[in-house]
Amino acid sequence: MAKLRQRVAAFIPWAVLVILILVLPDLTRPTVATEVWVFAILALAFNLLLGYTGLLSFGQATFFGTGAYTAGLLLIHQRVHPLVALAAAALAGGLVAAVIGYLCIRRIGLYFIMLTFAFNLMAYFVVYQASSITGGVDGLPGVSRPPVDLYVFSWDIRSGIAYYLFVSLIFLISALTLKKVVDSPFGLVLQAIRENEARAVALGYNTAAFKRVVFIISGAFSGLAGALYGMLFGIVPIDTIYWVTSGNIVFMTLIGGTSSFFGPVAGTIFFIWLAETVSVRWERWPLIVGLVFVFVIFFFRGGFVEVWRRAYGLLVRLSQRGQPQYGHSKD
Amino acid sequence: MDNLATTIAIQLFNGLVVGMLYALIGIGLTLILGLLDIPNFAHGALYALGAYLLLQLVGLTGSFWPGLLLAPVVVFIVSSMLERFMIRPLYPVGSNYVLLFTFAVSVIVQELIIILWGPVGFSILPPQLLAGSVDLGFFSYPRYHLFVMIVSLAVVLGLWLMLERTRYGAIMRAGIENKTMVSALGIDIYRLFTVGFGLGAGLAALAGVLIAPIRGLTPYMGADILPFAFVVVALGGLGNIVGAIAAGLIIGVTQSLTTQFWPQGSTITIFGVMAIILLTRPQGLFGAR
Amino acid sequence: MLGIWPFTGAFADVGPVLDRGMSLALEEWGYKVIGRPIKYVKRDSETKADTATRRVEEAIETEGVKYVIGPWSSGVALAVSEVAKRRKVLHFFSGGTEDISGKRCHRYSFQWAAHAYTAADTVIKTFLRENPGAKRWYLLIADYAFGWSLEKYLKLVGEKYGVTVLGADRHPLGEREFSGYVSKAVSARPDVVAMVNFGQDAIQAVRTFYNFGWQPKQPLLMTWSAGVEELIQLEPEMRENVWVGTNFYYTLDTPVAKEFVRRYREKYGEPPGYALAAAYGMTRLVLRGIEKAKSAEVADVIQALEGWEGEDLLGKMRIDPKTHQTLRPYFFLRCKKKSDMKDQWDFADIIGTGDTPQPAELNECADIGSL
Repeated sequence: MAKLRQRVAAFIPWAVLVILILVLPDLTRPTVATEVWVFAILALAFNLLLGYTGLLSFGQATFFGTGAYTAGLLLIHQRVHPLVALAAAALAGGLVAAVIGYLCIRRIGLYFIMLTFAFNLMAYFVVYQASSITGGVDGLPGVSRPPVDLYVFSWDIRSGIAYYLFVSLIFLISALTLKKVVDSPFGLVLQAIRENEARAVALGYNTAAFKRVVFIISGAFSGLAGALYGMLFGIVPIDTIYWVTSGNIVFMTLIGGTSSFFGPVAGTIFFIWLAETVSVRWERWPLIVGLVFVFVIFFFRGGFVEVWRRAYGLLVRLSQRGQPQYGHSKD
Repeated sequence: MDNLATTIAIQLFNGLVVGMLYALIGIGLTLILGLLDIPNFAHGALYALGAYLLLQLVGLTGSFWPGLLLAPVVVFIVSSMLERFMIRPLYPVGSNYVLLFTFAVSVIVQELIIILWGPVGFSILPPQLLAGSVDLGFFSYPRYHLFVMIVSLAVVLGLWLMLERTRYGAIMRAGIENKTMVSALGIDIYRLFTVGFGLGAGLAALAGVLIAPIRGLTPYMGADILPFAFVVVALGGLGNIVGAIAAGLIIGVTQSLTTQFWPQGSTITIFGVMAIILLTRPQGLFGAR
Repeated sequence: MLGIWPFTGAFADVGPVLDRGMSLALEEWGYKVIGRPIKYVKRDSETKADTATRRVEEAIETEGVKYVIGPWSSGVALAVSEVAKRRKVLHFFSGGTEDISGKRCHRYSFQWAAHAYTAADTVIKTFLRENPGAKRWYLLIADYAFGWSLEKYLKLVGEKYGVTVLGADRHPLGEREFSGYVSKAVSARPDVVAMVNFGQDAIQAVRTFYNFGWQPKQPLLMTWSAGVEELIQLEPEMRENVWVGTNFYYTLDTPVAKEFVRRYREKYGEPPGYALAAAYGMTRLVLRGIEKAKSAEVADVIQALEGWEGEDLLGKMRIDPKTHQTLRPYFFLRCKKKSDMKDQWDFADIIGTGDTPQPAELNECADIGSL
């Protein structure tokens, strides 16, 4: 009985996601909805580092931007197949993450954070200066969306809805993949590193190697997200690699909740909704993000997930039915 | 004097001016880093706040001088309060959260600046007393720039004296070196943090005030300067005050000279240096760890 | 109708001005054209390519916008132009980049400002007329699309007139610290320093040059300026021996301009500058296009505008159907000494105009495409 319950419980978040995917374009514009899932991939990738391994990387935009520019350049100059662009972006993101990860992992704590930040800054300025390739501060306009040719049929993703479906599909695939990663033995070791790295080392794990690998995975998926972003607006802006974007990713993930696999998605929805909807009414919406973030830091450190859990727990207690489920399991 | 030599001399001066300002900001940041163990992402915002308070005071009084004196003091007080009431409670939770809080503060302050003073930048003129240029024999140099150099130097010297020669300074240095020990000696380490944070912030604000007539103000000036502040700190060694001074000057002069010979390369060079230092010699050029 | 203006970011000061310009034109038409009401939608571009893209998309999706006027930054404009092409909406822009009517041309985007070639030609020709010996030039350029176009043509056209460019430095958009650039330019000992920058950048640069003693002893050229909007932020001492090239100056003597200047001064007390005139002028052209086409369909209006010729704000104007470049005059001013100013607005006199279009062989618009 308990096992069935567990299975159902595990299935629920996925069901919620699918439902969200189906209704979101009706609740908001297709462009906004697409953006949500693009950043959701990014947030999940980032949470791999923060929530699961305990690595606060302040330079996620480096991989996001790398992927975006890689795909952008391929799509502008070569009009490659979108899947090829995505693969190239993921590869690029992963490669850059491999290099940066290798260099940054040597240090821990404060130095690690500052190193990731430093590399993000460097990447930004490189992109800024190489304006003949990257368009500099103005970004790369003209990113195309060629049809997705899959032998049996060709999918034209130029319309808003078509592209939205494409992105949500990629998101689901990415989310499933990442979930497999965190549920695997590899994922468990990451969590062990987060809890107590010294102990993990004592148990014989090469923690540095694990960290490097998770960095690469995170970088690859971030690059993928970057490519999707570029194709969304037809432009790769320099903001994709700007350090403030890294900060925004941190905001999104933490506000959503790092202790749960799906938490970051909630944070993403909140952030993008603010960025796209509230921004038109009130340009100072980042203030709201900042304030909410402070609120989260002080009262709901687990983010929306914690809010949800507490509310849920409260409801259960109030209804006084069954046993309170204060599980420590990950959703 | 030969033309190239004159140019280099001017650029050197420019570099020293900018360098002293970087040093001021860097000292503040490295102090906070050394004492509180966190990179203060709000440092840029506090620098901007100093400049904007100056703007406000200039508007109110019509003169530059009250701003020069008051703005850093106000920021010192406000920041100390911030540390005391909002950062201190976060220490038990983890330094990551303190870091993230400072980042949130930087965003909030920037938005508040836009709300209060508008999104358009401002210019402030140097005070009448310091307008125009001075003939230094080989070339003319803006008077205000020289003023900035001198004042920053004076402040830095004053700070160094305070740290090296006074008891409180010694406690502060000890706090950077070994917090547990200082605490064990019965000194209220938390109050030290508060003062340290405020002091660091005040220095950033002072830098903002001094630079305002040279660079003008924009709401994004904080975000613009933050990367450079981090480079100074990295180069000088995290927590190393003297290192920050030297690093600030080196960065400033390097930036100026590369502007002369390779304008596109100046920022890349600086960040490249930062990465190399953090990787190979994390104690900075001047640290000893 | 969408006005995508910068209300924040590097060009934040221009946004409200552009808003006023467009509103003024719409007011004159009574917010109606061919009997149908006009809805004026405003959005902040934040002087950023991605934000502008998003906002334009949003306006098209939620407000049904069909005509986009703006933005202000050339770099952002290229991005907005892409959206216009993709979404098939009419896009009118005024700025220094030659790509809108060149490399990136397409049926949906139009350029109002004078071509960079025209500007460079007018500036160099007129300045040399007044200062015949000044053949050694130093350039200070803003490092983005707008700067690059003008830099290219200043050098190209300069060659034609025997100008030697001693050096050309690029500074980032939004740069505040000009000491280094100024020192470098000054030490090269040119006859004149010509700047290609705008707004706050230009003002800050002029101020720094003054602090280092460049003007009034030596001439400083603002090749593409907002005119009034920038000059008003500088002290008269800083403006002495400053020469300005601009797309509009309020002493211009055409019936439409005079009326426009009069109405604006009545309402706001100060004379309008280039940005205002641009917003006003572009809106007028779009409205006239709709009138001529007798239809509000984008395709019809585009066809009505192509090859349009007439008297409007700047005098004789024509829209080249092959490149969508507006052919119109460019103006060159000389700033007055404080003692010569008749009132606080009397910054300068128009001392020359030029309307040499870009030679066809230099134009990179291979095929303007279809609707």
